[in-house]
Amino acid sequence: MFDGIITMAAIALAGVGSIYLLHGITAINADPLAVLPFQSGWQPEQHALSRYHVRWYLATLLFLAFDVEMLFMYPWAVVVAELGATAIIEMFLFLGALFVGVVWAWREGGLRWV
Amino acid sequence: MDAFARSATRRAHVLLVEVPGQWRTRAAVERAVLTRGWSLAMSPADADVLAVCGRPRPQLEKATGLVWHQMSGPRVRVDVADDAPAAEALDQAQARLLGTEHHRHDSDSRPVAAHLLSANKGHDQESLNHGSMDHGDGDDGTMRHDGGDESGGEGMDHGSMGHESMDRGDEGDGTMRHDGGDEGGGEGMDHGSMGHESMDHGGHGGHGGHGGNGGNGGNGGNGGNGGMEMAPGGIALAEGGEDRDGLEMDVLYVRLGPVLPHWPAGLVLRCALQGDVITEAQAEILDAETQQRHAGPTAGPAAGLAAGPARILDNTVSLLALAGWEDAAAEARRVRDAVLEGGDRASCAVKLDRLRAKVARSRVLRWSLRGIRPLGHEELERHGLPPHLDGDTYDRLLGMLERAGDSNGKLASPLPLDKLPHLVTGLDLAAARLVIASLDVHELQPGHVHDETSGA
Amino acid sequence: MSEPSVTTVAPAWALAAVAILGALVVLAAALDGALTARGNDAASGAGGGVATPLWEAARLMRQRRRRTVEADGMLWRLGGAGLVVTAVLMVAVVPLGEWTIFDLDVGVMWFNAMDVMVWALVWLTGWGANSAHSLVGGYRFLAHGLGYELPLMFALVAPVIAAESLNVGRVAAAQENSLWFGLWMPVAFLVYCLGVVAFSVWGPFAPALGADIASGVGAELSGVDRLVFEVGRYALLAAGSAFAVPMFLGGGAGPLLPGWTWVLIKTVSLLLLFIWLRRRLPALRPDKFMELGWMVLLPAVLVQDLVVAVVMVWRG
Repeated sequence: MFDGIITMAAIALAGVGSIYLLHGITAINADPLAVLPFQSGWQPEQHALSRYHVRWYLATLLFLAFDVEMLFMYPWAVVVAELGATAIIEMFLFLGALFVGVVWAWREGGLRWV
Repeated sequence: MDAFARSATRRAHVLLVEVPGQWRTRAAVERAVLTRGWSLAMSPADADVLAVCGRPRPQLEKATGLVWHQMSGPRVRVDVADDAPAAEALDQAQARLLGTEHHRHDSDSRPVAAHLLSANKGHDQESLNHGSMDHGDGDDGTMRHDGGDESGGEGMDHGSMGHESMDRGDEGDGTMRHDGGDEGGGEGMDHGSMGHESMDHGGHGGHGGHGGNGGNGGNGGNGGNGGMEMAPGGIALAEGGEDRDGLEMDVLYVRLGPVLPHWPAGLVLRCALQGDVITEAQAEILDAETQQRHAGPTAGPAAGLAAGPARILDNTVSLLALAGWEDAAAEARRVRDAVLEGGDRASCAVKLDRLRAKVARSRVLRWSLRGIRPLGHEELERHGLPPHLDGDTYDRLLGMLERAGDSNGKLASPLPLDKLPHLVTGLDLAAARLVIASLDVHELQPGHVHDETSGA
Repeated sequence: MSEPSVTTVAPAWALAAVAILGALVVLAAALDGALTARGNDAASGAGGGVATPLWEAARLMRQRRRRTVEADGMLWRLGGAGLVVTAVLMVAVVPLGEWTIFDLDVGVMWFNAMDVMVWALVWLTGWGANSAHSLVGGYRFLAHGLGYELPLMFALVAPVIAAESLNVGRVAAAQENSLWFGLWMPVAFLVYCLGVVAFSVWGPFAPALGADIASGVGAELSGVDRLVFEVGRYALLAAGSAFAVPMFLGGGAGPLLPGWTWVLIKTVSLLLLFIWLRRRLPALRPDKFMELGWMVLLPAVLVQDLVVAVVMVWRG
C-alpha cells in the first residue's frame, strides 16, 4: 500500500537531485558564489538571524487552541451523519465556546498588529 | 551549448539603478526591458543585467559596486546615459550575456564575501555622515565608464580587486575569519588574471581604482579585527533593545535604498527594525554635496511639458506595484509611457480615466491602503509638507491620479528629507514603503540627519 | 474499510503522475508568461510570452548559485527543494478517474498535513539565507498562514462530513449522481481555493515575496535554487487544483469522456483560473488579512460545516 507513496517521494527527490546535478554542468560555475546578503547596496550591520519580534504572537496561541481542535473534527466529520443531532449539538457547542474566545481575543486587539 | 546560452538570455532580468534626476532614463529603460519580453529584477540575486541609469556620483557608485558583487553571474553592467537609446543598451547587454567563456572567466575571479566585508568596513561606518571623502580617487576611475559599456562593466571589477588586494593583508593577522586561509592564495592568482583582462579592454582607469581604494584598505584592516568573537563571518550579531511591549527583542539596522526598486532615487533610510517594525529611522540623500552641483532638474528634449503628470504616474506605478497589484501597475506604466512619448492629449486622458476608474473600483485595494499613516492639515503644515498629501495612503493614491490629469502640471517642489523618518517610524516595512511611495516624491531636499524615536 | 472505490495502480505509475504534474507546471508558467507579456505590451517578437518557462529554466540553469555569509545552507536549500516534493506527495492521494497511487484511508488529512508542511518550508527558505529581507518575508508567510490555515482546514472538513469518509476516492464517489460538493458548499469551496492560492504563495498571498522587501523569501535565491523554488510554487498550485477535483468538483464525473480526462480538464481549468487571478488582485496584507481570516472566513466555514452536518443528519 505504501509502495506508491514511497515511489512518488523517491521520484520527486531524484528529480530535484538530478536538476541540481545538471545545474553543476550547465551553470557557468558549479560553486556557489559567496556573497553578502542584499541590503540596497550596503553591507549588513548585523546578522539577520536574530530574536525576531513577532507581532502576532497572541494569534499563534489562539491558533494552537483551534488547531488542536482539528484532532476531534476529523473523526467527528466521518461519523456525524451516523450519530445524528446530538453529535452536531455537542461539536458546535464546543466550537461555539472556542469561538467566543476568539471574539474576546479580537475585541482585546489580539488579531490586530502594531 | 550555443542554443542553450541563447535561450538563457531570451528573458534576462534587469536590476535598475536610478541616479537622482534620471527618472526619465529609468522609465525608458524600464519600458525597453518590458517590451522586449524581459523582466525587472527585484534583487541582485535575480538579476542578469545591472542597468545604471545616468552617471552615478561616488556614493551611489559605491553602493552599485556592492550590488554588482552580489549578482551571481552571468552578469552584465550597462550604463545608460540620459540621451542614449535604451533598446540599444539592452541589445548590447544581451550580446554580452551570451559570451559563456567570458562569464566563466569572470566567475573564477570573484572576491569572497568575507573579503568584501572587511575591505569595506572602515569607510562604511563613516559613510552616513561624511561618506565619500575617502573614496574620491576611486571614483574618478569609474567615471570614465559612460564612454563605452564594455569597459564600464569591467571597470567595476577592478575597483573591487583593489579592495581585495588590501584585504589579503588583513587576512594575515586575522586567520580565525571564516573562509579564510585557503581562499587567500586563490585570490592572488585570480587577481593576476584580472590584471590581464583589464589590459585586454584597455581599461586603465581601473588602475586608478586600485590606487584610490588602497588608502581605505588600511582602515579596513583595523576595523575588521575588532569584536571578532561576537562577529561570526565578520558581521556583528544583533543586539537587544526594549520593544513596545517591554520585551527584549533584537534590533536590526537595515538600510533601504539607494539600489531598491520602487524607491525614490538617492534616498537612504537607515531603519532600526524590531521584527519588521521600524522603531527608529534616519534619512539621508546620497551624494548630497555633489548632486546639487551636477544634477539639477534634467533638461531633456521633452522636459517641462509632460514632466509633472508623467512623474506622478511613475510614482503611481511604484505605489501600485508595492501594493502587489501587477495589472494596475502595468496599466499605470503604459499611461506614463504614453504621456512621456507625448502622445495626443485626448487619448492619454482617456487612458488615465480608465486607470483611475479601475483603481477607484478595487475594494481590496481600498481595504488594504485605508488607514495607513493618515496625515491631517495641521500636521502637514507643521512639517512643511504640501497640502495635497492630506488623508491616508489610499486618499493620497487617488489624489495622485487626480493630479496626473492636469496636463500642464509641473514637477512638484522638493520634499524636505528630514520629515521622512517621522512619517515611517512605528510602521512595518510594508506600510512604510507604501507611505513613502504615496508621498509622490519628485525630488528630495537635503536636510540635516534627523533622529526620530518610536516614543515620540 | 469495505471495498475501495478506486484501484491502486502499480508504483511505476508514479512516474506518470509526476510527469502530469510537471506538464501542469509548464502549462501554468506558460500562461503566466503570456499574461505578463500582454500586460507589459511586450513586442510580438518575444513570442507572446508562451515560451517563458523555457527561457526562465534555461536562464536559471545557467546562472550560478549563491551562498550568503553564514547562511544556514542546508535548511535554506531544504526549504526550496521541499516545496516540489510536498506538491508531489499531495497529488499522490488524488485519484485520476478510477486509479490512484496511494489509496489512503485518511487521504484528506494527508493533504492537510502536506499543506502545513509548506509553512515550515517557506519560512526556512526565508530564514536560512541570513538576510533581513528574506527573514521578513518568511515571517510574513507565517502570519498569512495563521489567517488562512484554519479556514482551509474547516473547508476540507465539509466534503468529509457529506461523504462520511476521509478517503479521497470515496469523497469523489459520494458526488456520483448528485450535486457536486463545490455547488452546494460554495463557501467551503471558495475558502479552499483561497487556501490553495495562499499556500502556493501566489497572487494576493505573495507579500512574502513582495516587491517592497526585494522579493522577500526569494531575495537571495539564484540559479537552480530559485528554479526549484519557483517550480515548487507552481507545483503546489497545480496540486491544490488537482485535489479540488475529487473534493469539490465531482471527481471524474462528466459526460462522454472517460473519468481521467475529466479530472484533467477540471484540474487545468481551476489552475488556469488561479494563474489568471494573480495579476488581477492587490496583495492581501498579512496584518489586515489576519483579522479577515479569523472574523469572517472562519465563522463562515464553521457555519458551512454546520449546514452540511444538519443536511446530512436530516437526510438520513
